[in-house]
Amino acid sequence: MVQRLLGLRWKGSRLQAMDGFQKLLTLLMIVMSVFMLLPIVYIFNHAFKPYHELFVYPPAFFVREPSFQNMNELLSVTSRSTVPMIRYLFNSVFISGLAVVFVTGVSALCAFPISKHKFPGAKLAFSTILLTLMFAPEVIQIPRYLVVSNLGIMNSYFGHLLPMLAMPIGVFLLKQFIDQIPDALLEAARIDGANEFFVFIRIVIPVCMPAIATVAILAFQNSWGNVETSSLFMLDDEMKSFAFFLSTLTNNLAGNVAMQGAAAVASLIMFVPNLIVFIILQGKVIATMAHSGIK
Amino acid sequence: MAGIRIEHLYKRYGKDKQTVVNDFHLDIKDKEFLVFVGPSGCGKSTTLRMIAGLEDISEGEIYIGDQLVNDLPPKDRDIAMVFQNYALYPNMTVFENIAFGLRLRKLPRHEIEQSVKRAARVLEIEPYLNRKPKELSGGQRQRVALGRAIVRDPQVFLMDEPLSNLDAKLRVQMRMEIIKLHKTLETTFIYVTHDQIEAMTMADRIVVMKDGVIQQIDTPETVYTTPNNTFVASFIGSPQINLIEGKIVEDIPGSGKLQFQTSRFLLPIPQEAARVLVHHNKVNKRVTLGIRPENIGLEGLFSDAIITGAYKVSELMGADRFLHLDIGQDKLLVVRVNAYYHCEENENIRIVPDMSKALFFDADSGVRFKI
Ligand SMILES: Nc1ncnc2c1ncn2[C@@H]1O[C@H](COP(=O)(O)OP(=O)(O)OP(=O)(O)O)[C@@H](O)[C@H]1O
Ligand SMILES: [Mg+2]
Repeated sequence: MVQRLLGLRWKGSRLQAMDGFQKLLTLLMIVMSVFMLLPIVYIFNHAFKPYHELFVYPPAFFVREPSFQNMNELLSVTSRSTVPMIRYLFNSVFISGLAVVFVTGVSALCAFPISKHKFPGAKLAFSTILLTLMFAPEVIQIPRYLVVSNLGIMNSYFGHLLPMLAMPIGVFLLKQFIDQIPDALLEAARIDGANEFFVFIRIVIPVCMPAIATVAILAFQNSWGNVETSSLFMLDDEMKSFAFFLSTLTNNLAGNVAMQGAAAVASLIMFVPNLIVFIILQGKVIATMAHSGIK
Repeated sequence: MAGIRIEHLYKRYGKDKQTVVNDFHLDIKDKEFLVFVGPSGCGKSTTLRMIAGLEDISEGEIYIGDQLVNDLPPKDRDIAMVFQNYALYPNMTVFENIAFGLRLRKLPRHEIEQSVKRAARVLEIEPYLNRKPKELSGGQRQRVALGRAIVRDPQVFLMDEPLSNLDAKLRVQMRMEIIKLHKTLETTFIYVTHDQIEAMTMADRIVVMKDGVIQQIDTPETVYTTPNNTFVASFIGSPQINLIEGKIVEDIPGSGKLQFQTSRFLLPIPQEAARVLVHHNKVNKRVTLGIRPENIGLEGLFSDAIITGAYKVSELMGADRFLHLDIGQDKLLVVRVNAYYHCEENENIRIVPDMSKALFFDADSGVRFKI
């Protein structure tokens, strides 16, 4: 009865079909995923801990008396700031939305010709893009600043977007995926009367949906948590992002007891959209070439 | 409706300019069913893809109808192509796959629907119109690919080994359907295959290729009965033609009667063939004799000219049996006999070649002698 309640019986029958190595692997995977889950569970619990629980020693993992105390604190802090929190939120949502659309678009537009059009220098272009994967962000801060300031897009949404637009990992992922599309598929479309743009929109993009979804997740995370563009390129407070706003809240907190609760809620708020985006897109990510009926 | 004219077409690849299509010259008539056949890597696909516009032309000209198409993109050539791996759009339903080309041509919706339905009926894929390609079997997928081609009503159909991914039985069935399709559509077809049986059964004319060079262009009958050279002779026909090395000798000096001589036997050469051989000055020279398995009989069916061969193996092909005999040559001689024929290993069998069907080839170049 207990077994059935826990669903162990079903698992048991599946386990019986596995050999020793598979069992070991499954066990390892379970341990790993539980381990990966810990921070997420911690973030959720932490956000609802009242102050006396936040500081207990040794730190408790689970919340004992959940409360909305931290929420209220965050609200009161933000209501004191000159720019309403909703403005920061809007900025972040807006920028992240644009980033998802444009980063995937630009990455795909870049990956398609590199993968499927044999032009001189295609290899060099791709190697260069790969090379930029190895630059630490600090290295490109100053060049970025120069570009953004010389373009005169400081303090605009475009100033948020442009530095994030080139995402080498996105180009890389998409290129690898597009490589797998048989040439015949694109040729069939060309013979059917499609021009290159149509081939791209109607064939390449839909077939690449798994990779596009992955790049979209990465682009979202990249942009949602981004504080760099706000701190470097935005002069007015109302142009800055939610992530930046929260980081100012928590930055001066080192060794400070006040506002730890607000910070805990802030990290939750920062985390939840990532989770939602991932859950929405993960179904698409898992679909692979094997399922798409190409081969 | 249009013929195709291909003038001295070349294709070279890479830095070292390796020539994979060499001086391809051909006039394809309107409504003709033309088949390119040849071993793997001989440049069939490359030629087809140049006609389609998927591959650049290194040298030469291609005309579809009266229009020079060298620099036209595929979509402006009014052609349709069927690929070996079907190349169906995996993200679209069968209906959308077939309708894709029509939508791009901005046809009215009801017309698209009509054309797709009609094509689906012809190809018997109506029940699957709402499925995705991955939910279809290989044969069904190939039908969809055909449907995608026929709704466009192009001037020319190009097919690159469309049946090679199907199982043997389905292949025979689809072969017939493509022939029927050609009859109803009355359009020019160019069909690429490495399977000589497909070529023989489907073609109005066959183009046999080897290493990028055309070996022969002719009707299936002509290619089979009078191949240009030993390559064509052995490539077309299954089991392969027997090629026997030997020498031309005079029967009685001065009589004009010639004989074909090997270390083991002598075969008389008919008058007409003898004239050709004399014309080419081959008396007392080495030549290759070609004779098909069905033109050799067991003793008693024809007159003289008897070869004795030791029986090695046999292949049963339903109605026929093919005996492989050792006649002292490098290769075993293949003879077609009745399926019920039986004999012991190494038993000596006396056979009679029908010398009126014998073909004579140059021993070095392999070219068939003709006047
Ligand atoms: N992109 C390329 N670069 C260099 N060589 C190529 C290229 N494509 C084809 N070739 C060469 O051209 C020759 C002809 O190729 P092709 O695909 O036309 O052969 P095929 O007759 O269609 O053979 P199969 O029956 O195997 O399909 C081959 O030797 C091949 O190696
Ligand atoms: Mg080929």
